[in-house]
Amino acid sequence: MTLRRGLLGFAALFVALALLPRVREPLDIPVSYLVFLGLIWFWTAQATSWNILSGYSGYFSFGQGAFLAVGAYTTAVLAGRHGLDFFLTIPIGGVLSLLLALGIGALAFRLRSLRGEIFALLTLAVPFVLASLALVNTAIDGGQGIIVRLPSYPEFLGSFQDLVYLLFMTTGLAALAVAFAMQQSRFGWALFAIHDAEEVAEGLGVPTFRHKMIAIGLNGLFGGIAGCIFALQIGFVAVQSVFGLTVPLFVIVMSVLGGRRHWVGPLLGAAVIVTLQDRLSASGFEGWSLVVLGAVLAALVILAPEGLYARLRRRPLPVTAAFVVPFVAFALLGTWGDPLDWAMAGMLAAAVVAFVPSIRWERRSDRRPGPAAAEMSPVPASPVTPAPEAADAVVAALSANRDDDASPDAPIVETFDVTKQFGGVRALQGVSFTVRPGEIVGLVGPNGSGKTTLVGLMSGTLAPTSGDIRVGGVSIVGLPPHRIAHLGVARTYQIPRPFASMTVRDNVAMSLMFGRSGLSLQAARAAAAEHLELVGLTRRADALPSEINLHERQLLEMARAVAQRPRVLFLDEALAGLNPVEIDNAVTVVRRIHESGIAIVVVEHLLRVVNQLATRLVVLEQGRTLAEGDPRVVMREPAVVRAYLGSAADA
Amino acid sequence: MTVLQAAISGALAGGLYALMAVGLSLTWGMLRVINLTHFGLILVGGYLTFELATNVGINPLLTLVVTVPVLFVAGAALQWAFDRFGLTEFNSLLVSFGLLIATIQVVSNVWSADFQRMSADVNPYATQSLRLGPLVFPAPTLLAFLAALAIVGGAHLWLQRTYPGRALRAFAQDRTIAAAFGIDHVRLGALLGGAAGASAAVAGMLVAVDRPLTPSTPFEWFGIVFAVVILGGIGNTVGTLAAGLLVGALSGVVATVWSPATSPLVIFSLIIVALLVRPRGLFVRRVT
Amino acid sequence: MLEIHDLHAYYGEAVALSGVDLRLEAGEIVCVVGPNGAGKSTLVNAIAGLHRATRGRIVMDGRDLSRLAGHRVCDAGIAIVPEGRRIFPLMRVIENLDLGAYRGAARATRDERLGWVYELFPRLGERSQQIAGSLSGGEQQMLAVGRALMANPRVLLMDEPSLGLAPVVVDELFSTITTIHQAGVSVLLVEQNVDRALRLASRGYLLSEGRVVLEGSSDALGRSEVMQRTVLGL
Repeated sequence: MTLRRGLLGFAALFVALALLPRVREPLDIPVSYLVFLGLIWFWTAQATSWNILSGYSGYFSFGQGAFLAVGAYTTAVLAGRHGLDFFLTIPIGGVLSLLLALGIGALAFRLRSLRGEIFALLTLAVPFVLASLALVNTAIDGGQGIIVRLPSYPEFLGSFQDLVYLLFMTTGLAALAVAFAMQQSRFGWALFAIHDAEEVAEGLGVPTFRHKMIAIGLNGLFGGIAGCIFALQIGFVAVQSVFGLTVPLFVIVMSVLGGRRHWVGPLLGAAVIVTLQDRLSASGFEGWSLVVLGAVLAALVILAPEGLYARLRRRPLPVTAAFVVPFVAFALLGTWGDPLDWAMAGMLAAAVVAFVPSIRWERRSDRRPGPAAAEMSPVPASPVTPAPEAADAVVAALSANRDDDASPDAPIVETFDVTKQFGGVRALQGVSFTVRPGEIVGLVGPNGSGKTTLVGLMSGTLAPTSGDIRVGGVSIVGLPPHRIAHLGVARTYQIPRPFASMTVRDNVAMSLMFGRSGLSLQAARAAAAEHLELVGLTRRADALPSEINLHERQLLEMARAVAQRPRVLFLDEALAGLNPVEIDNAVTVVRRIHESGIAIVVVEHLLRVVNQLATRLVVLEQGRTLAEGDPRVVMREPAVVRAYLGSAADA
Repeated sequence: MTVLQAAISGALAGGLYALMAVGLSLTWGMLRVINLTHFGLILVGGYLTFELATNVGINPLLTLVVTVPVLFVAGAALQWAFDRFGLTEFNSLLVSFGLLIATIQVVSNVWSADFQRMSADVNPYATQSLRLGPLVFPAPTLLAFLAALAIVGGAHLWLQRTYPGRALRAFAQDRTIAAAFGIDHVRLGALLGGAAGASAAVAGMLVAVDRPLTPSTPFEWFGIVFAVVILGGIGNTVGTLAAGLLVGALSGVVATVWSPATSPLVIFSLIIVALLVRPRGLFVRRVT
Repeated sequence: MLEIHDLHAYYGEAVALSGVDLRLEAGEIVCVVGPNGAGKSTLVNAIAGLHRATRGRIVMDGRDLSRLAGHRVCDAGIAIVPEGRRIFPLMRVIENLDLGAYRGAARATRDERLGWVYELFPRLGERSQQIAGSLSGGEQQMLAVGRALMANPRVLLMDEPSLGLAPVVVDELFSTITTIHQAGVSVLLVEQNVDRALRLASRGYLLSEGRVVLEGSSDALGRSEVMQRTVLGL
């Protein structure tokens, strides 16, 4: 579904839903159903806005209540107390809530030491601080609560309930449309990448801070607007009814239940939970709804964290049938309950069918290093031999596309007397290193010599303790990694770090979207084929990283790095753990990458390979450069032999 | 009330927050589990104290004989479950959040949402106080402070001087190598979880002795206990106590000088500043 | 005494060991050498119970250890000096040593073991109250060895003890290993410094890409051309 068609669909849906109040009376549907639907839209707005930040990008917020409260109190104070027109309070409440969100984001996302758990707990504290402010400050609440009276509004909108329904529906649908649009565009995918591996995303060229701020801003905006309407609906705003942990709990459960990765997830979750709440209170079990919800959250996180929608996608027919069959059966029987009861029964059946069969009861001991089960063998190493002609054509195409504005001889990366200290350990002491266009530099040395540290420094993942590092003449010390990526640096990781929830093709597309190319989502997905061909992963384009073997994942790392269109590529032990066939294949791929015009720095332990590949060899030992030059010559130098074998090795 | 009185009373009251925080902080630091259900255990401890004192007639302090073992088992079982399901740090936060909400609701169903308070003849401590010159200290606050000293001190000594305590600290620093020397983290973890539960029982009793209980009381503690955990350094016993006293004193002074509403704001700002400047906590010893 | 039969192990998804056979008799010092990525560390970690092998057996005095829970392996008398030392950095020297003697059997002999460790490494005795993280590399290595000795082991596994240490310090360390050996502890030494390893050990194995490529006496290995080519990649 393309973006445009999807948005048109939303517009059509909006019209249809807006007409619902009109057809309600003629069709003899009780008004309680309209209220019920409105409630689902309210929670959809809240859960979807939450999901844009926390589900998509992984920054779990417990502070949804704060946004709701800001919106509600804005309306209550301005309209309820000071008589401002209700409809004006909506944008004001939205903006105030937006500002709060941006404030939280500015603080939290700038703190480099902020782990996900701390962010969650920080956002948990925000509503409580606001609550106590509201409670004591008589200009806001003062402990009395505020009455919100019916506003005057155009007659064509219908009754009061109709108005509330329309407002909730509009907000909820708008939030859904935004979430949908995100998922179909680069922006949403940047958030997904942040969720999977933020550091890697930053290194690919994604400006993570900006994206997170926009996400939290949208969260605040929709949460606040929904809060304004909420104030109108309940008519009386007090601290107890607006703050508290019910709001974040509901929002989290709804999104976790429905699925955090997809825009439809929160809607599904909202529908189920609101129905559940409704049926529990209708049958007198209101006091147990929170117990159920709390237990459901705990169970979901342990057993089925990916949620309902993912399960529905996998087995659409059984799950849908499980909903439809009980619903229709009860409807036909006509002896028990009302339509909401039938819907509840259908939902429960669908949930059981969706979740139960595929729950894997993993034992704790299975999480030890090594494969999940002692007898499991890894995904068989399929020989990856791409058609040479196709790959060569790609090489030709890629090198033709290179727009090297810099002079052909100027060094790409230079380090000047760089040192790096970790606590008391000196990993590097005074290393000056250059990479020139067209080179393949082999960086070798015994364990602990500082190779990976040097790569980290040159690719911007680490900052030097002293000394300078320049890329294309520009000093990169202190630059955020995504800017360094745009200067033309790319790296792979020793242990491959693909974006786990994206296909192979989409992993590569990420680089094409946020690297030096800057393509749109659709264009990037199409262009990814070229890079997959280069490394020989075309057949695996639609697989997930967990479904491909180690060698293929390393090739994916390379493809993703090459798709950034860098001038230099750092390969950090890209051959670790491979069998000889795979190694030979990897070497072929590296040669092809080199031919397409990218300089390469290879950090490796497999000396026989490096000796074949490299045009120049640099040997490090204990953080210093030991030797440099032609591989065959360097490896026979006495100092180097000594470093590897120990002193006086007999010839 | 003078500023001095406010500061000292506040500091003593902060002892209670330190007591609440230490269990949470230790399981977080040693076992990488964020157990929000800890607040639920404190709540249950408080209500059990109320129930036993009011309907069975035991002295509130003596109710510990029942509540401590019960909550020890609950805490140990929780920790065992966290380990059994192999929850990541973050997922333990979510799961324990869900369990906390469920617990609060159950408490509300059993004891109603109304305020429950032990009557004066059941709870003699609520009205007693100690007078030292111009300063007055209510008995519950003093008790809380003394309990905090005892428990935090005990925890500190246990971690420093005993084999299991040291084993836990080693496990927190390097899980794999600790296992290589025979450290069984499942049993130790359950032990620590149980001890945290026991401390929750004591904290709950102290809350019940001091003020009326309502199921939503944990929400009042959240922000401040979290502040104490972060400021004191996650997993740091003495730091947590110091942070509790500091936060308590600051709270008290701000409440007196400005207003009670401003203290959450001040505390919150303190957390932000601390996270920016000293992310490991204010009282953490630096290893050079 | 210690026998490894057809050991297979993975490191994540990569094959780390594909059928390793090895034995260590009582009273021996045996070395395992080879280029990086050969699987030496994985081998040692598997023996110590830190890493799960997928196939094969690790037999100590007739008992198969490979299916034991990780923390039970040290009861069989195996202690490890891990790669990179991995002492507990926030604890004192004496606390690190005490933790070596954590398991019940070792606790009984704690005092006399401690005396012996201080004899071997007087510097540890001088700095017993110092925080381990602030020790120098060489001192941390001594502490790691001392900690392993506190467990009263019959087999001492040493993973690259010379890593990152100055030659003088390595000399001292290796002579201490000889002393430890003479006191009756069998040693399995993994080393990148082939020369020193062969001088210390009586027998050795050359590991490359997860397999034993060569085995024999230290003399034979030292003279072998295969050894040079494998390690230097020529």
